[in-house]
Amino acid sequence: MDTLANVVHGLGVALLPVNLLYCFIGVFIGTLVGVLPGIGPISAMSLLLPVTLSGTPESGIIMMAGIYYGSMYGGSTTSILVNIPGEAASVVTCIDGHQMAKQGRAGPALGIAAFGSFIAGTFSLVALMLVAPSLASIAIAFGPAEYFSLMVLGLVVLTFLTQGSMAKALLMACIGVVLGLVGLDSITAQPRLTFGRIELIDGIGLVPVVMGLFGVAEVLLNTEQAIKRDIINTRITQLLPNREDWKASAGPVSRGTLLGFFLGILPGGGAVVASFASYALEKRLSKHPERFGHGAIEGVAGPEAANNSAAGGAFIPLMTLGIPPNVVMALLLGAFVIHGLQPGPLMISQNPGLFWGIVASMYIGNLMLLVLNLPMIGMWVQLLRLPYNVLFPLIILFTIIGVYCSSNNVFDVYVMIAFGVIGYFMRKLGYEPAPLVLAFVLGPMLENNLRKSLILSQGNLMTFVERPISAVCLAFAAMLLIGPLLPALRKKRELVALDEGA
Amino acid sequence: MSDQTNVKLRLDNSELWGGLIGLALGLFVIWSGLKLKLGTINDPGSGYVLFYTGILMCLFAASIIIAAVTEGGPSFASRWENARWGKPVLVIVCLTAFALALEPLGFLLSAIPLMLLLLRLIDPVRWTVAIPISILAPTGMWWVLKHLLAIQLPNGMFEIG
Repeated sequence: MDTLANVVHGLGVALLPVNLLYCFIGVFIGTLVGVLPGIGPISAMSLLLPVTLSGTPESGIIMMAGIYYGSMYGGSTTSILVNIPGEAASVVTCIDGHQMAKQGRAGPALGIAAFGSFIAGTFSLVALMLVAPSLASIAIAFGPAEYFSLMVLGLVVLTFLTQGSMAKALLMACIGVVLGLVGLDSITAQPRLTFGRIELIDGIGLVPVVMGLFGVAEVLLNTEQAIKRDIINTRITQLLPNREDWKASAGPVSRGTLLGFFLGILPGGGAVVASFASYALEKRLSKHPERFGHGAIEGVAGPEAANNSAAGGAFIPLMTLGIPPNVVMALLLGAFVIHGLQPGPLMISQNPGLFWGIVASMYIGNLMLLVLNLPMIGMWVQLLRLPYNVLFPLIILFTIIGVYCSSNNVFDVYVMIAFGVIGYFMRKLGYEPAPLVLAFVLGPMLENNLRKSLILSQGNLMTFVERPISAVCLAFAAMLLIGPLLPALRKKRELVALDEGA
Repeated sequence: MSDQTNVKLRLDNSELWGGLIGLALGLFVIWSGLKLKLGTINDPGSGYVLFYTGILMCLFAASIIIAAVTEGGPSFASRWENARWGKPVLVIVCLTAFALALEPLGFLLSAIPLMLLLLRLIDPVRWTVAIPISILAPTGMWWVLKHLLAIQLPNGMFEIG
């Protein structure tokens, strides 16, 4: 009964005209960045982070969340029609989605991607409503040791899932922690690594770092090679999947939804992991695995459901523990902090309007996305014809404005350029930026909780293993760190490793 | 980029240099941690986490270096194979020039030439397309920010914008 009353309260917040407008802007921009290759939800969210300041916290967070799950919908359009993933979570949709389009079945592929996404998005929201409040009440009992261990686990999971050498990913995570510690020490107020620059006293801004590593670096990489696009030119008709399509997709959508939701909750996981895992699962369960890669609708339905479900599930650790499980959620945490809010166990009870309003808006946003992605598909297809040599200067312009507006300081534009160059070289040399960014956000919290637990336990390191939740997290993290040393596990890791920055 | 080009114990092994840079950064972080004071385990100081993170960095960098020496790795040339590396350099030069000009000239006078340069220098767009885009996009953004979102961009010494 309580949940129902809360949902009604949330709908009251979400249906306010201003919040409906922000929700629409969010999902529209999300679809747009999902459709356009070369700009993803991370760049778009960091770009619009300063814009959220002009409205209420609810409106700002509703818009930012809309960009995230909107991009999951939009990404499939580009994957199916152009064979270029609009964002990382849609990489796997290219495999069978584009083959279906080549066989003249672009409509059903787009249709099942949108309906699968909608079903999964709806399920994940219902689960979010049921799980989050219970988890928040348990999380109140968490002490600094548990928080520290959970954050360590999140970072280790992300480095485990990152493509390439694990040593490189761990080195990136350490650099992220160090960058996060630049500025005044939160306990002693002593300046650290500021090199006498007054601009660094408050630390390095999240927006210039993310825009540099993901936005500018991506542009630099794209400009060094001519991007070829293989756009399907035939008119897209019959978007509704037929009876056989539904029959073939029902299982993959259900399994993708459940799998995606649980992988979304895991620290370090998220939509990208979920879509790959769902594809692998469907291929393994299929009676005709040889059809995969040649236009199997199950290869579109499962991963698309999984990535949307994971997008919903990822809100749980952020809303209940205040720990972002991935880079996108780290940006959302930034949006909360900008508005003076701290997500965590007390947020749901102290700000019920905000939490339930966001959840309700996500349902409304999912409905908006269904309309945006099916009847209006022609508009997005036209947008795909925008050449990259016209698009990238506009991306650069938006990133500059976004970075400048976040602090009203040219120094941040220099920081963005510097991180753009660093990000470019990192990608060229096989170092992924995702662990760095997540560690950058978690670094100060990690340090704070480590120092607090050491002070509280009077320097007893056993505090981390004597507390059950902390011990489980650290044991799991240790397993993932040692795992890649074993040849069998190393092979498995290579199979699931992801290019988060794609 | 071909990662298959294994070059053992050669100075242009990109993996080796990546590891060496990581090692140098790790040593710098350890030194910074020591300078900031470590404190004690009962009461960790400002440099405590930095110091131990620096040690971890050195360990991970050392493992990258060892792998680079024992297993080899792609050369710098192979990393940039078939890449038009001059294009990213041009973009960086344009961006740096823009950042330098932003405060003295103001947003509009620095963004319009930046857009024109990016549209014409990288993968040249026709003048008839490049000129309108380079004028309309920054002006449109400036108008939205100033009049709808009340955000002031720099107007420079000529006070334009």
